[in-house]
Amino acid sequence: MRTNKYMFLGMTQSTLIHVFLMGMALTCLFPIFWMIRCALMSNDTVFVDQAIIPHHLNFSNFATAWIKGNFAIFFLNSVIYTVCVVTGIVIISSLAAFAFSRLNFPGKNFIFYLFVAAMMIPLPGSFVALFVLMNKLHLANTRFGYILCMINVGLSMSILLLKTFFDKMPHELEDAARIDGCGKLGIWWNMAMPFARPAIAVIVIFNSLNVWNEYILATLLLEDTKLMPLQRGLVVFQGANSTDYPVLMAGLTMAAIPIIIIYLTMQKHIVKGISGEVVG
Amino acid sequence: MRGLMRRCSFLVAVFLAVLMAGCSSSKESGNKIILWHWMTDRNDTILKLAQQYTQETGIEASVSLFAPSDAYSQKVIAAAQANVLPDIYGILDKKTVVADFIKAGLVADLTASMEADGSAWKKSLFEKALADRSFDMANGYGIKPGIYGVPIDVSNEQMLYNKKLLAKAGIYSAPRSLTEFIKDAKALKLIGITPFVSGWGELWLLDCFASNYAFNIMGEAKIFETFRGRVKYTDPDWVKVFSVFADLRDNGVFIDGIVTKGNKYAEQDFALERAAFTFNGSWCVNVYHSMNPHLEYGVMPPPPVTNTYPLKIWGGAGSSFVVNAASPNKTKAIAFLKWLTSQKQQVVLAQETNNLPANRQASVSISSVLGEFAKGMDESTHPDIWPVNEDPSVREAFDRGLQAIIIGEKTPRQVAQEVQEVKDRQMAKGN
Repeated sequence: MRTNKYMFLGMTQSTLIHVFLMGMALTCLFPIFWMIRCALMSNDTVFVDQAIIPHHLNFSNFATAWIKGNFAIFFLNSVIYTVCVVTGIVIISSLAAFAFSRLNFPGKNFIFYLFVAAMMIPLPGSFVALFVLMNKLHLANTRFGYILCMINVGLSMSILLLKTFFDKMPHELEDAARIDGCGKLGIWWNMAMPFARPAIAVIVIFNSLNVWNEYILATLLLEDTKLMPLQRGLVVFQGANSTDYPVLMAGLTMAAIPIIIIYLTMQKHIVKGISGEVVG
Repeated sequence: MRGLMRRCSFLVAVFLAVLMAGCSSSKESGNKIILWHWMTDRNDTILKLAQQYTQETGIEASVSLFAPSDAYSQKVIAAAQANVLPDIYGILDKKTVVADFIKAGLVADLTASMEADGSAWKKSLFEKALADRSFDMANGYGIKPGIYGVPIDVSNEQMLYNKKLLAKAGIYSAPRSLTEFIKDAKALKLIGITPFVSGWGELWLLDCFASNYAFNIMGEAKIFETFRGRVKYTDPDWVKVFSVFADLRDNGVFIDGIVTKGNKYAEQDFALERAAFTFNGSWCVNVYHSMNPHLEYGVMPPPPVTNTYPLKIWGGAGSSFVVNAASPNKTKAIAFLKWLTSQKQQVVLAQETNNLPANRQASVSISSVLGEFAKGMDESTHPDIWPVNEDPSVREAFDRGLQAIIIGEKTPRQVAQEVQEVKDRQMAKGN
């Protein structure tokens, strides 16, 4: 009887948790569903058709968004920016975090706190300074200038996250690597980087999302439309007073796909990465 | 380690490739003018006109779109600080900011060009639109009097009515007085049609409507005297202004929830024929067309309460450009703007973008609805060109008071009293 009672309580608890989680999942998925639903409607029906599944599916919005929004070039630009910025952030922040965690040099803590303090400055607060600096360096309106700025934006958080991981790396592992002939760079590459894989996954996801959706800094630094990221294609559908909702939603759906793929690919690492859990 | 080096070399190669691909020079040549704008809905037409200008003159007109307007404003401010503003740009801010740009030598005085050839360019444009970027002798900003901006289109705020819905109630012409309007509203309500919708959750729109009636009931001199603190809001004329809203409320004119409705949602309601009348700006022609191309509607000024004073509507420059005073291509930039605001180009802009043209002559070649809006331009006014403006906190108390009247929370006299109390406090601070 007691076993049945515990089984019943366990099942009830499990059911409640699952119902709650399903509710949460539904809340998260509903906006995506709504976006796709609107993308399949026309301007005539988007404000009128109240059905969950539209009565007439209009797939031409995707083609319109791709052509009218000039997505081909913007998509390529965003891929270049995301790959370069995320690669740059991972390399620079991991090297910096490794140095802050495992090396001893004068002013180490002071420089580290300077990096962490940089997180407190919101991006719009540094717009004018960045723009003036990039102009002085003749890097405004160049891909390289934008990539450098975006790497700078993502560094502080990434260094903090990676340093937390490297601090937990056993000294014995480092000693063993040294005995095997590894130098400082070798230890960073062969020991520290695999050790911090969950943190790197989090950095990749967060920064990919950040770079993929970034537009304000691009507007500020880039003048040539051919250098603009994907978000530039989306603003075409948003007038000052009117918005072409179905085409905008089709554009947003296409823009969201790469990020969803990156998230799904790396999701198994994300919890470990955020909680700071080290690999066994 | 060799593998590591190989990977590092690959990454360096990627960076260098990107660097080389992105480092193309963007410096303009002497035969090129650069224009920055924020108008996504007008971008295609502006690009088309710029190409036409290049073909006609041999001067390359390069157009860059930076939207939304917030991002555009930040870019302009940053570019001003870095001294890299383009030849032509817009300042999307209050007149005080425009004055700061002029003082910094970043905006050219266009008066001489406007007044050349017997002021031909100036006369071709709506006076009220020019006033928006002009500074007169009495301007309090310390700016040399003159014209500093060129409007490419204009806008004003009026009432619109759905012809089909009105016909259902047996109404075939727009009401000419508030009494007629209330009568029509009652007839519409009888057959289950909501009479009036507007985005009065946005205070500026409500403020604009109330201001129209203030002009009609007491005339502009008394309004400005109120702003100066010489007439009280408890004056019977101001109470009459507040009472307009109480009358409309008591006769069931408003749609439910009008004081929390954003203009975007009010536009949906009118476009989808959920209400027979609305109050909106001339840009709505574009909005309604995108939501319901078959909507049949007309334009009318808010129906006056009295004929003592003219009912003035709000209007002025829609979008305007300035010329960079520091640009070596200043003369070419002015010539381009003169070309862009000439009749032929203005007709193209108006027809393709459904905006009111800034050029008077172009108004004859536009759609009938836009033409009706254009007729109101000469009766328009705007706070930006008033000699005195009300304190923002008094303005807010005024607008919140109107909302309170609409929802039946307060009477016109109570609101008048409360607004006057705020005014008294502000006057005391000022003294």
